[in-house]
Amino acid sequence: MISLSDFKHEHSPHSVAVSVKDLGLTYTTSIDKKPTLKARLKTLGRGKKHTRIVRALNDVSIDVHYGTVLGIIGSNGAGKSSLMRVISGIVPPTQGRVEVYGSVSTLLALGVGFNPSMTGRDNVYLGGLAAGMSREEIDSNFDAIADFSELGEAIDAPMRTYSSGMYARLAFSVAAVVEPDILIIDEALSTGDAKFKEKSLNRIKELRTADRALILVSHALATIEDICNEVVWLNKGKLMMRGNPSEVIAAYREFVDARKSASSDEDV
Amino acid sequence: MEKPVVVYEPFRAGLPPMREYLRSLWSRRTFIAEFSRSELREQNYGSVFGQLWLILNPLLLSAVYFLLIYVIGGSSDANRFGHLTANLFLFYLIANSLTGGVKAITSGQRLILNTSFPRVMLPISATIIALFKFMPTLIVFAIIHAVIGLPYSWQMLWAIPILLIALIMALGMAILISCINVYFRDISSMLPYLTRSLLYLSPILYEATNVSDRIKTLEIANPIFFLLDSWSRVVVHAQAPSMNGLMHATAWALFLFISGTYFFLSRERDFAVRL
Repeated sequence: MISLSDFKHEHSPHSVAVSVKDLGLTYTTSIDKKPTLKARLKTLGRGKKHTRIVRALNDVSIDVHYGTVLGIIGSNGAGKSSLMRVISGIVPPTQGRVEVYGSVSTLLALGVGFNPSMTGRDNVYLGGLAAGMSREEIDSNFDAIADFSELGEAIDAPMRTYSSGMYARLAFSVAAVVEPDILIIDEALSTGDAKFKEKSLNRIKELRTADRALILVSHALATIEDICNEVVWLNKGKLMMRGNPSEVIAAYREFVDARKSASSDEDV
Repeated sequence: MEKPVVVYEPFRAGLPPMREYLRSLWSRRTFIAEFSRSELREQNYGSVFGQLWLILNPLLLSAVYFLLIYVIGGSSDANRFGHLTANLFLFYLIANSLTGGVKAITSGQRLILNTSFPRVMLPISATIIALFKFMPTLIVFAIIHAVIGLPYSWQMLWAIPILLIALIMALGMAILISCINVYFRDISSMLPYLTRSLLYLSPILYEATNVSDRIKTLEIANPIFFLLDSWSRVVVHAQAPSMNGLMHATAWALFLFISGTYFFLSRERDFAVRL
């Protein structure tokens, strides 16, 4: 879920928050599902390669300034999540360099660190601590988190009794109280029902300030166009276009439509 | 131009900046405690006795061996029963740390892929869980000790440094095996046989004094042989441990801890792409 790096940082508005230079990322994945000793021994001496190289990112350079809300769009497998993982320090890059000028909070998946057999209340602490908050910080924010999640008395029930919507709402609420310099959100906005979606969107809008940088990954193009003031379009690990939201989104839509018609032609 | 706070560059096998790493680990100490606590609760979730199992487990285990030694074996040797329970409980500290540690990284996939934190936290928490399970067994043993009338003496204070050595060894093993399991998943299937062999190769079902000198020389290769022997001498016989035995245990503990930690820390940034 969220993770707040331990570094406090002073910065001026509009200075660089994240600088990504010539970033390349290749995954070496094994063809076998799991890297076992047996598989190793079987291929030993035969010179057979048991790995496959996947290029997830290819020469991507992006600067994100404070005060910017950067949207990242692209089809599945474009490298969006990989880019977010490199910026948050989860995956080391294969090439290039990433410089981060501030504390980063990442919201890449909801409810990571949650333990379903514990109550919602326990999980607020567990999730908050996983995010790098201190117990005191969570104590003072607890009521706000509980209110935001709209769980009411269910907060004291074990989380395995929750519906998926309730689960996601609590996870987002924990994430929403962290106030980092740089916030990275991957596909986490589409949680809960329409009302909660609206509420979380408003929370994101509140977080848009001059001394903060937001990076949003989403397939919801209308939301991206609404919130962001800059958009980057990735395709197959390459940076296709960057700039004004409406222009980039229009180009992306055209690209997707063209591909769609091409593939539908093939069917005939 | 401001100085970057963090820089991410291509992965090279090597230690991360240690001061920052340790600081970041230290700042997560409450998370480690909370995480271990919730994992422990998860293990007993849904059972009628819940956390009471932490006490019930060692009680039932010693009851089984009571049956074996006193009832079936017909022996009335209190030392033997005391030795067996004391060493079995300490052995389980090591074994639980290994079984918890082996999957610490591979089952923490979701956490690792989505959050940035010092990965060594996961095997540490496996050892903490093993320690949580061990502490009630100490109480159970203290009661057994009193009931069967084993001797007491000041030499029993040696138990504290021995426990410390055992903890360092358990932690080192958990860290090492969690890292090995990322690269060779077979190790988790092999582990039950490894721990079972360790159980029979160590002075638990028998006493170290019953082992021939030739075998004892070979037991230098067993990290816990002299650790368990020292433990039994101290808590069962209330004697001082042999210094050679203590040195052997310390050397193994430090070797496992240092090599395991080095191996782990120099590779942990690679884990996310291997899961």
